[in-house]
Amino acid sequence: METLSKKDFQAIFSALKSMSESQKEYLIGLDSVMGDGDLGLTMAAVFKSASEFAAEYADDEIGSLVMKAGITMAKAAPSTMGTLMATGFMRAGKALKGKDTVNAADMADFWRAFTDGIAERGKSKVGEKTIIDALEPAARVLAEQASSGASLKDAMAAAKDAAFAGVEATKDMVAQHGRAAYYQEKSRTAQDPGATVGAMVIQVFADYVA
Amino acid sequence: MKKFLNKPETFVDDMIRGIMAAHPDKLTYVNDDLRCVVTAKVKKGKVGLATGGGSGHLPLFLGYVGDGILDGCSVGGVFQSPSAEQMLEVTKAIDSGAGVLYIYGNYGGDIMNFDMAAEMADMEDIRVEQVVAGEDVASSKKGEEHKRRGVAGIFFVYKVAGACAAAMKDLDEVKRVAMKACDNVRTMGVALSPCIVPEVGKPSFSIGEGEMEIGMGIHGEPGIERGPLKSADEVVKQMLDAILADLPYVKGDEVAVLVNGLGATPKEELYIMYRKVDEMLKEHGIKVFHVYVGEFATSMEMSGASITLLKLDDELKTYLSMPANTPFFEQVQL
Repeated sequence: METLSKKDFQAIFSALKSMSESQKEYLIGLDSVMGDGDLGLTMAAVFKSASEFAAEYADDEIGSLVMKAGITMAKAAPSTMGTLMATGFMRAGKALKGKDTVNAADMADFWRAFTDGIAERGKSKVGEKTIIDALEPAARVLAEQASSGASLKDAMAAAKDAAFAGVEATKDMVAQHGRAAYYQEKSRTAQDPGATVGAMVIQVFADYVA
Repeated sequence: MKKFLNKPETFVDDMIRGIMAAHPDKLTYVNDDLRCVVTAKVKKGKVGLATGGGSGHLPLFLGYVGDGILDGCSVGGVFQSPSAEQMLEVTKAIDSGAGVLYIYGNYGGDIMNFDMAAEMADMEDIRVEQVVAGEDVASSKKGEEHKRRGVAGIFFVYKVAGACAAAMKDLDEVKRVAMKACDNVRTMGVALSPCIVPEVGKPSFSIGEGEMEIGMGIHGEPGIERGPLKSADEVVKQMLDAILADLPYVKGDEVAVLVNGLGATPKEELYIMYRKVDEMLKEHGIKVFHVYVGEFATSMEMSGASITLLKLDDELKTYLSMPANTPFFEQVQL
């Protein structure tokens, strides 16, 4: 699969919904260590609403599908991660404006905009034990792959690996944001739930194009 | 927990229903959502002023929606940010073509959601500008003012920006005046007892009998000093010394003063505190233009108080003096 159409994006949103349902309890557990434990619920609500919106989307243009799915998410789950995830899709949608098909280079633009949007809204950067620690390495690898002419499948597979390596790296970071930040040094060994979600979302895309 | 409520989970909505029932001539709500509070009279061509924040702080935040001050407020759960969608709905309702200014306190959840709402408003071709108020000198040291929490002093920002908008100035001008107020306002608080979030049912922290905590935030954020309760004069001196040194406020300055009760402290005690404020300001050669004493930003049944100074120039004096009329705040022309 070298290019994705609107139908593919509809299927991806549906796969995101399935993923968020099957991982709900796992994410609740992960987030309960130092957060308020609602991450699994937030992600389930976010992707349920986005998937329902996408299924009804009539146009062929992918940019506004993705952007409006993001707005739908913001309304469905007004928590921090809900707002951040919504921002990611809104910005990614803007980056795909006017496109009826998405190739590897477009996908690199998608994840760059997704990542930058979340970093800006959450005022976070690499190394602060957040979703950015999964997204930034993935976006970077994706851009490299796309510019060297890799297939969509290979580029996304490399991005997925980079994202999960990023999740691993959060096990040696001190939290700077949210409730976990109150734990300071004690937060170091924990795996960041936000980064985990970021990698899982990328995995859904990678698995779809594989 | 001893509170007048029906069910903890209906605390916020029951409160808003009561406010709407009492003041139907002044307030209404949009999008079939009680938590999207707007003025009953949107003025055509005026810059819209919106705020928002968690419940549990009345008269903050919705209490300043009315004539001559704010136009709309999104209301969150107790101590929780409202959603970006609620903020957007308020924005749409109060925009009459001149754009909308968001004024809100410096808290992570509020910032993220107002940013998001501004981005969504932009997609609907509504121009939005934002001013984030943070003036609690105890919450971050000098040089890191951008990290400071917004507390009672936001009232002054609302008041002057609201008057500026009522004078039909444009969005850039209203924003400039709001930022000028932010730059010239400083607050410090002290807490004597905690408050109880209804859905939690018990205090989330404790302050011992005979203890006080200087600098505690309005959600119980840690202050700068926990210790034995001192005399009113000593407490005020400690707070006001920190405020005066911070801006600094100096001889010859003219200020407005706000002595604010946090919910369970009676006006008697607030005036005992103001007595010392007045004495100290006279000693420092600082002239007092106008004094507000009462509840302007609370933390439910927390006992305690805050002191706020706003340094004035002719422009801020003009806007502070203009009339305003809301269900929670009425002022005739000074």
